Amino acid sequence: MFEQLIKSIQDKVPATEEELQLCKHYFTPKKIRKKQFLLQEGDVCNRLAFVEKGSLYSYSTDAKGTQRVIQFAFEGWWISDLYSFFTKEPSNLNIEALEDSELLLLDHEQHDYLLKNIPQYETYTRLILQNAYVALQRRIEGTIGLTAEEKYSRFLNQYSTCLNRVPQHLIASYLGITPETLSRIRKQMTR
Amino acid sequence: MHVKQTIAIIGAAGNMGQAIAKALAKEENRLLLFSSNQQKAQLVAEEIKSKNAAIEVEGTGCPVDASWEADIIILAVPYQAEAEIAKKIEDVARQKIVISISNPLNETFDGLVTLPGTSAGEELQKILPDSKVIKAFNTTYAVNFVQPLIDGKQTDAFIAGDHATALTVVEELVRSAGFNPIVAGPLKVSQTLENMQLLLIQLTMKYNYNWHAGWKILHN
Repeated sequence: MFEQLIKSIQDKVPATEEELQLCKHYFTPKKIRKKQFLLQEGDVCNRLAFVEKGSLYSYSTDAKGTQRVIQFAFEGWWISDLYSFFTKEPSNLNIEALEDSELLLLDHEQHDYLLKNIPQYETYTRLILQNAYVALQRRIEGTIGLTAEEKYSRFLNQYSTCLNRVPQHLIASYLGITPETLSRIRKQMTR
Repeated sequence: MHVKQTIAIIGAAGNMGQAIAKALAKEENRLLLFSSNQQKAQLVAEEIKSKNAAIEVEGTGCPVDASWEADIIILAVPYQAEAEIAKKIEDVARQKIVISISNPLNETFDGLVTLPGTSAGEELQKILPDSKVIKAFNTTYAVNFVQPLIDGKQTDAFIAGDHATALTVVEELVRSAGFNPIVAGPLKVSQTLENMQLLLIQLTMKYNYNWHAGWKILHN
């Protein structure tokens, strides 16, 4: 139930066994089925989610109801709407399960407790947020500066191990291109 | 659209379990009904669906998976069965609201089996130290859920617990079930609430209230 989380923490900080055990008490284990929501547009995002098993994705919808995929999250990843979590303002995003998933959730109270009482957890969180910021910066830079082909190549590198778990139309949405364009690029690349 | 809260009702085929399930069968809730007899739980789910097909409800044969999926867990089981089920779900109930509805009555209904100075609610919290145990629905009979008005007055339903946010969530749940919620105090107030129900049961039998009885605080 905590294997991926412990691995994720140990990869980043030298946490003791005692600290790891203590952490476990503050996470809420939650199973969620494919197509169920963790967050829906208009709700305040009051939980951070760590993916122990399965996958989720976050997206906004435009006036016509078209999905705009922001992020995918697989085992060992965190997903949430940080804007809504930190400001407590309603979210513009939806977070939906791509597959049946097992999550570990943290609300404000639990998160604050861990930050205050387990210094290694604070360091871990800082590194996670640092990585998230870098990923966001790369994504913006890619979105405004790269060609569709370059964006897809970068996507392949970033998500190489999980590619076959994501439907093509969501990959197209993530890249900001039409499914037809994605299909053309894929054909070109296999030549 | 809001994310539905998933509520696991453990013991959903019993009188209280069924009554609670039907009272919480609303579009904002997703209900997972567990009974040791899965077929019975499925029948309750089907009955709810037949009245409103839009309700998300299903019967399940696994209390652990139901509790793992849940945001709120309601233990609608007798006090004597509470400890065993609590131990099973402990890991997946961490940080979740667990509602204790039981009254630890003895076999002759003239006393409680819990020791003085404790209560079913507090005993459950000891087994589930990482969960937010809330005492609720223990001062209401199953028939009150169908008709929360008694003598024209809305029945009060008392709530006790140590966690402020969890109390607010359960207060709303109790209100949505048709009762007037009253937060009575911290979890140790369960002792009083369980004794209140002992008295009500004794009076119900003595004066033949036919289970149409409940508590109402009169005040200015």
